[in-house]
Amino acid sequence: MNALTTVRLLLPELILLITGFVVVGVDLLRRRNDEGRSAAFIAVVGLLLAALAALALGLSGTAEIAAFTMAVDAYALFFKAATAIGIALVVIASVGYMAGRSRYLGEYYALLVFAALAISLAVSATNLVLVYLGIEFLSITSYVLAGYLREDKRSEEAAVKYFLYGATAGAVMLYGISLLYGATGSVDLVAVDQALQASGSSWLLGIVAIILLLVGFGFKASLVPFHQWAPDTYDGAPTPITAFLSTASKAAGFAVAGRVLITALPDFIDAWTALLAVLSMLTMSVGNLIALRQTSVKRMLAYSSIAHAGYILLGLAAIGVQEPFNGVNGLLIYIFAYLFTNVGAFMVVQAIEQHSGSNDLQAFAGLIKRSPGLALMMTLFLLSLAGIPPTAGFIGKFYVFAATVQQNLLVLAAVAVINAVIAAAYYLNVVRYMFFIETEEEKPVAIKPSLNAVLLINTVMVLVIGIVAQPFIAWASESVNMVIAAGF
Amino acid sequence: MVPTAYVLVLSAVLFTIGAVGVLVRRNALIIFMCVEMMLNAVNLSLVALSNQWGNLTGQIFVFIVMAVAAVEVAIGLAIVMAIVRHKDTTNVDEINLLKW
Amino acid sequence: MTLLLFTVLALIALVGAVGVVMSRNAVYSALFLLVNFATIAVMYFMLSAQFLGVVQVIIYAGAIVVLFLFVIMLIGGQIGPVTVGGRRYARLLALVLGAAFLLLVVLGLGAALPPGEAPLGAPQAGSVQAVGQELYTTYLIPFELASILLLVGMLGGVVLARRYRELGKD
Repeated sequence: MNALTTVRLLLPELILLITGFVVVGVDLLRRRNDEGRSAAFIAVVGLLLAALAALALGLSGTAEIAAFTMAVDAYALFFKAATAIGIALVVIASVGYMAGRSRYLGEYYALLVFAALAISLAVSATNLVLVYLGIEFLSITSYVLAGYLREDKRSEEAAVKYFLYGATAGAVMLYGISLLYGATGSVDLVAVDQALQASGSSWLLGIVAIILLLVGFGFKASLVPFHQWAPDTYDGAPTPITAFLSTASKAAGFAVAGRVLITALPDFIDAWTALLAVLSMLTMSVGNLIALRQTSVKRMLAYSSIAHAGYILLGLAAIGVQEPFNGVNGLLIYIFAYLFTNVGAFMVVQAIEQHSGSNDLQAFAGLIKRSPGLALMMTLFLLSLAGIPPTAGFIGKFYVFAATVQQNLLVLAAVAVINAVIAAAYYLNVVRYMFFIETEEEKPVAIKPSLNAVLLINTVMVLVIGIVAQPFIAWASESVNMVIAAGF
Repeated sequence: MVPTAYVLVLSAVLFTIGAVGVLVRRNALIIFMCVEMMLNAVNLSLVALSNQWGNLTGQIFVFIVMAVAAVEVAIGLAIVMAIVRHKDTTNVDEINLLKW
Repeated sequence: MTLLLFTVLALIALVGAVGVVMSRNAVYSALFLLVNFATIAVMYFMLSAQFLGVVQVIIYAGAIVVLFLFVIMLIGGQIGPVTVGGRRYARLLALVLGAAFLLLVVLGLGAALPPGEAPLGAPQAGSVQAVGQELYTTYLIPFELASILLLVGMLGGVVLARRYRELGKD
């Protein structure tokens, strides 16, 4: 393979790498009152270019580079594009929020770009070395970002909790990897699979390794019972970072888990689908039941984000080869829809927070009279989170639920539907506050232009995915075909 | 030659001691030391397995783990320092501004 | 002979590990940690991983433990006597969980153990040259990513730990 091909295939990563360095450099030269705007601008341009490069690579048909421990395939490119777009939205939303709250704005944007780089390599990884490194890289960047508000004790606390749980989960996952290496003598996903098949793989080893690996992935994706860090970290971290952690970072966890399980451990499919089904039921039930009792909207969304991890997991638990619902394409669609929905919802919370200094339900009271636009957008995001048509969230839920039914996992499907109903209750409660609860507050919520742009993009995307779903579904389905075909 | 199985058992015991330490201790610094010990236990088993299989993959993995551990320590200690400045404590039970 | 050496080292490593968990003072914990790391470094040499043995001493013993000690000294008196576990049932639960985990892992290991005798470790197996060769060919991307990770660590360390002045005062 010649150098030019390598550069072409690694284009998204190279763009992100260069952008990260430029952002740090520009920040050194910035003017005093710039408040990180130029750094943010360059970061957004770089992230969008990287997303475009990933999309272009996906369209041009893909070649693998397996020699360097990674594969540039449609599956990876889907996640690269989706997470780069998500992080770009987070960067734009941060401009108004972080200015005045931190002295290190250039570093902040650079860290977000490097996080995109880490995700980009992690979702491509076909080798457990790169899987581990990518996930840990993402985690370490996230610890810093969660604790970025040095004046805010809650942000520091978010960071320390995230860090202690994350470091432990990383060590446990590493132990699982070492077991796989011990059994097969290789850390390449395909080679692991072949060696396991050749040696008539032992069940016990498989189960133990899968459990240990799932601790690591489950931590990233905030699955119950590895979720204890999530509510506090989501609540305490700067709001744009909460949006990042609950979407892009979570997507990376699912992407890596999917590839490792499907490519390296297809022999144990019965074991891990059963395990994932249990985890999925636990995750959505615990998340939704606790979310029901929250009075802070930010914290409610944090628990709801845990519950959504459970829905997303349905896709992997109900994996199959039948069309059109093979489970994994549902996972991709869900993540893509959830990305825009959840970033949008957190951005409304951020706007309210900046306006009234509180993210309690009470702060949302009577919003329809004060800022009808904001209230309508929030309603749309909440409907999408609840999975009501014609929103993006409905398409995602439909595809994962249909996959469980097609696989005859009826208990799982029933639990998921009951959970969706419970979740609708607390989402609609927020709507009730915005529309029907009176308040003395009369000032309309002032929204920074940058935040307004993000809100508009998210609104449009939630509606577009919900109404013109076909191209997105086709994209997701094509992205998973190769991975599934190679696995089974 | 030391049989690989012995090294692996030692590594498992060290890992477990570290894990128990994470669960019983309430001081953020000590918990963190225990995590480092767990990482070291895994490294030991990776090196032993690398020797057993006669390839260098395990050793490369250990090298990468060491890089990650070094960064993790730098960041982790920085976070602990930041907390101490605010709260004067490293006890994780007292870090409870956010309710469960 | 090597087996005897290994047994002695293993015992020292275990004492170090238990010491980290049981010490009442964080400084002692850090020193026990150093003991643990150092014995493991010797074991690397025995397992024909010379390069990693040296790196282990430099990074873990040299940098990480020293960093821990620095932080303990910096926050000094504030750390106080450290208690082992608050509630008794929590401690019991931890021990049970630990035992269960050990059982699980030993069973898993029994299944994971590669077949056959270990090949006699060639003395050069883990030399700087051999490791470097592998690192710069097959594992080039992880290696490069690790270097960027170090940069991120630097940025993060500065951002989080630098003594801050109030915003706007400069």
